[in-house]
Amino acid sequence: MLDASSKNQNQHETMSGAAILIETLINHGVDEVFGFPGGAVLNIYDELYKHRGKIRHYITCHEQGAAHAADGYARATGRPGVVIATSGPGATNLVTGIATAYLDSSPVIAITGNVALPLIGKDSFQEVDIAGITMPITKHNYIVKDINELEDIICEAFQIAQSGRPGPVLIDIPKDIQIQKAAFKGGKARPLFPLPPINQSSIEEAAKLINESKKPYIYAGGGIISSRAAAELMAFADKIDAPIGSSMMGLSAVPYTSERRLGMTGMHGTYASSMLGAESDLIIGIGVRFSDRATGDKSKYQENTKILHIDIDHSEIDKNIKSYTSVIGDIKEILPRLTEMVDQRTFKKWKDVAAEYKKIGKECSRGLNEDGLHPKNIIKTVRQYANDDTVVATDVGQHQMWTAQYYEFTKPRTFLTSGGLGTMGFGMGAAIGGAVGGKKRSILFTGDGSFHMNMNELATAVMHRLPVVVIIMDNRVLGMVRQWQKLFYEEHYSNTTMDRVTDYVKVAEGFGAAGCKAETMQELETALEKAFATDGPYVIDCIIDKDERVLPMIPPNGSIDNIITN
Amino acid sequence: MEIRKFTLSIIVMNKFGVLHRISGLFSKRGYNIDSLTVNVMPEDERMSRIIMTSSGDDATREQIIKQLEKLHDVKEVKLI
Ligand SMILES: Cc1ncc(C[n+]2csc(CCOP(=O)(O)OP(=O)(O)O)c2C)c(N)n1
Ligand SMILES: [Mg+2]
Repeated sequence: MLDASSKNQNQHETMSGAAILIETLINHGVDEVFGFPGGAVLNIYDELYKHRGKIRHYITCHEQGAAHAADGYARATGRPGVVIATSGPGATNLVTGIATAYLDSSPVIAITGNVALPLIGKDSFQEVDIAGITMPITKHNYIVKDINELEDIICEAFQIAQSGRPGPVLIDIPKDIQIQKAAFKGGKARPLFPLPPINQSSIEEAAKLINESKKPYIYAGGGIISSRAAAELMAFADKIDAPIGSSMMGLSAVPYTSERRLGMTGMHGTYASSMLGAESDLIIGIGVRFSDRATGDKSKYQENTKILHIDIDHSEIDKNIKSYTSVIGDIKEILPRLTEMVDQRTFKKWKDVAAEYKKIGKECSRGLNEDGLHPKNIIKTVRQYANDDTVVATDVGQHQMWTAQYYEFTKPRTFLTSGGLGTMGFGMGAAIGGAVGGKKRSILFTGDGSFHMNMNELATAVMHRLPVVVIIMDNRVLGMVRQWQKLFYEEHYSNTTMDRVTDYVKVAEGFGAAGCKAETMQELETALEKAFATDGPYVIDCIIDKDERVLPMIPPNGSIDNIITN
Repeated sequence: MEIRKFTLSIIVMNKFGVLHRISGLFSKRGYNIDSLTVNVMPEDERMSRIIMTSSGDDATREQIIKQLEKLHDVKEVKLI
């Protein structure tokens, strides 16, 4: 049967499934992949060997790290990140990485091997139903059951991952499919799926609402970055003279130098963004999903405020919050059309209010030791060694929030953080993906707890000579959980006081990297000099106060009335 | 909001796991499935029609339809 089909299509070259995969990846512009080999992907790795001049494989220490690296690569470059893993445990190790990418709408292509088709369903060695497992955390996934469908599936996976709202796609390829042969049609990239046309009357309605508003407030999210619409956002905001609050995912879309920038909204958002959001008469949500962490108590949120929701994903409209009106489509196309239609405005009073709240915000929420090695000082100092294009990754916890609050982002795609899933252990892989994708030094702000989850990937950075500057905000506690225990659990510090004796400098050296400890700002500066002159990774263990808190804080499901500022 | 029963006609590609995708979507998002039948479409065997009854308030019903429409193998969702 195979012979017959290859004869029928003899204008095409016949190739193995594994070769079709690699050729198709290359023809989609993929020249860097992350992964980890094993029995069920031996054929794919054999093709990687044969194609080694055209496609570079970065082996990690653990498939989770590879998945985060592919995700970080995608976030930093806007191009799909590809990760390869073997069947069974290799595939299940990807799960957290895929879920992280899914929650943050990152275009990751995950390729897993599986046991040969006749062995599927027999609990064969290293068999797992990874397609079943990842169904709820992928945009789509496949098990390839016919070699003649493989090429189309790979091409389609790239289309799905990148069309509309991006997201991860998994392709599970049984071993016999990798070996069988089929005609190869060229594996060319196909155009993205067209979106339904934007409803003109919805834009008109939105424009009318905006023209009626006297206190407009823009709430901008990751969709701005996915749609490459940062410039369009600014032009729009300028015309309607609105301040911009950002979700954590949207932070890097608004340069810190912009007067309109309020910073992050939500639980640990800035005082100004929370106050202005609460006082505005029109919240214009653009590429956001009004997640619980970003809005708090939504009944309060909406009391006197209308909501205009603009998003590419129609299911986000009225999912978390009921909108007054909405526009569905690509932000990059909607915003210029809307900008043209709205009146040019200036709101002197509203602007003064914003300036006032920004000032108050600066005064309140002071840290414990703001003159010493305080998180704010650490982040601001590190920023001086970086440039506007430097990719910054974080793990999850207090250090992540401090980075979101204090790091001065200037360009989209420079902030890689796990917003939706909140994955501790994301950072090392993401920083590696960022360094590979950006082809330059990246920075990781991590916590002692998070770093213990994926520090193995330091070996990956050493192996591939990737210049990743690792800043550990070492409070010796699971700081964010501890903060909740302090505020809401009567200071019962259950299992959050780690006081591990890990020597991070020795850890770095043990992996073949370099590092040092910093207990003062002076020591930090010296360390940064070295770090930014080092060819590979460099670890700086910054000792900070364990009682330092992330402020301000609006307690879960609270509102601006409940804000904690000191 | 008032909980009401409603019936959906969902046309899907007969691809691997399509029923799993649909039932998985319902369990993942906390929607109810009250009944469900699947039939291959006589005019095109590559497709099936799922008739499903569910219940929920208006907002839930709208969400269910939109979430179903996002699935790659779902070609059409209609309220009947
Ligand atoms: C994989 C995972 N497990 C558990 C959590 C819950 N969690 C959120 S923040 C946090 C503490 C993180 O500690 P550390 O990395 O030291 O950061 P810090 O808050 O101290 O800056 C924990 C345990 C999580 N987000 N991810
Ligand atoms: Mg910590």
